Amino acid sequence: MEQLRQWRESNERKSEEIIEIWEKSLCNNIDKLANDKHLILEQVIYAALDCHMYRVATVCLLMLSNDFPGSLRVMKLKATLLEAKEKYDEALAVLDTIIKTDETNTGARKRRVAILKAQGLIPEAIKELVDYLKKFMSDVEGWQELCSLYLQVQDYSRAVYCAEELLIHQPHNHLHHQRLAEIRYTMGGLENMELAKTYYCHALKLNPENTRALLGLFLVTNNLLSQYKSSGNSAKRKETFRLCQWAQARTAQRTAKESAAPPLDQMMLNLAITD
Amino acid sequence: MGEVVLETAAYAKIILHAAKYPHCAVNGILLADATKIRDGARNQDLDIVDTVPLFHHSHNLSPMAEIALTQIETVAQSSNRVIAGYYAACENFRDNTVEKCPGQKIADKIAEYFPSAVFIVVDNKKMVQHLDSPAIKLHKYSDGKWKPKDTQVTFQTQYTLETVSHLLQRGVQKDLVDFDNYLDDLSQDWTNLGIEKLIASINASNTIDCDEKDYR
Repeated sequence: MEQLRQWRESNERKSEEIIEIWEKSLCNNIDKLANDKHLILEQVIYAALDCHMYRVATVCLLMLSNDFPGSLRVMKLKATLLEAKEKYDEALAVLDTIIKTDETNTGARKRRVAILKAQGLIPEAIKELVDYLKKFMSDVEGWQELCSLYLQVQDYSRAVYCAEELLIHQPHNHLHHQRLAEIRYTMGGLENMELAKTYYCHALKLNPENTRALLGLFLVTNNLLSQYKSSGNSAKRKETFRLCQWAQARTAQRTAKESAAPPLDQMMLNLAITD
Repeated sequence: MGEVVLETAAYAKIILHAAKYPHCAVNGILLADATKIRDGARNQDLDIVDTVPLFHHSHNLSPMAEIALTQIETVAQSSNRVIAGYYAACENFRDNTVEKCPGQKIADKIAEYFPSAVFIVVDNKKMVQHLDSPAIKLHKYSDGKWKPKDTQVTFQTQYTLETVSHLLQRGVQKDLVDFDNYLDDLSQDWTNLGIEKLIASINASNTIDCDEKDYR
């Protein structure tokens, strides 16, 4: 029970495990649960849909709609069940009714995007999500999804915009800095590389344990060094070189301590620019 | 010519990777035995001995892919193997084509250095707990495009599908480590030695079984 609550709060996708717990112990005495009953039913429904166990989902859904007739939250679950069964048009109809009754229902609007994505209509999903974000600008999850959708169609400059939006909403999250740096690095070019360097540094400042940012910083500084070499910018070069050395030393230190896989040192030497 | 043979461990890691993250697109690298390869020759026979699972999120971004590939190359060289191809599975169940796969650029790059490279696409529809046919499709690089290969994939042993099905039923996919897992926690082993050992022991018991049959 405690376990279920933990998964629910940390948003972990443990569908198979949840169904197992449900079938083993919960399904026959769900009524004995006091406060958590409906939350758990909802959790089980999503898990069941993830595992394509529609019968379990339908049973739980019936229990919920008996307790809460006319609830929009239950209606959304019903739409999700239809969506899982690939009855997209019916699911959309249910969602539209929800949106009509409650215009601020963000969950239902986002499911509309999910349905388009499930059908493989990525450009349409992007359009729908952009429309949604025009109305609900502070939805971090929405920006995150839009960012990855843009990455999927390799529209990096728009993905950057979304990542910057995320940064504004949550400036202390090192992962947003890291993501932005990764996109800038992928775009390439001197200016983007310098931006990537700055963002990687920010990410490391916020979380010194971020391995991706550390390795990324090493790549970026190496890349910059070779670009400065040709343009002969010695002040910048010196600074970048120091940063590069620092990243290399720290990676060596960390891998020596923790890594089970072959150490990174050799790889570093392969990549490093001989100065 | 141009026949591709997969070892059980190589095939198992592809399938287990896809099974560990059923809701994500996944990708990885194929390693071939370097002793059987002639330099620069096109369309040669490949013996895929191992695979390295790469990512299950943040596809289409290059920094970590660069780190992974350099590291894999270093390790592969020391054990006399070469990077000989790429595998990927799509996020969407119905997408089973090269075009929908993540990281095609990585695959193109591999083909640039290794012209006989193969691109393996996981066939989502054939992914079941009891594999009765290889749930993968082979592609070859020609004229700047990945084209489906006519010939079916061949396995090193006849027990491959059976072994991998067995691993799936035991839930071994939970123990598989890809490069994303490694970057999150450096103490994880992306070479998946544990799974390799497990497969080796299953292989050994299989051969004993068949020896016994011969004996009778």
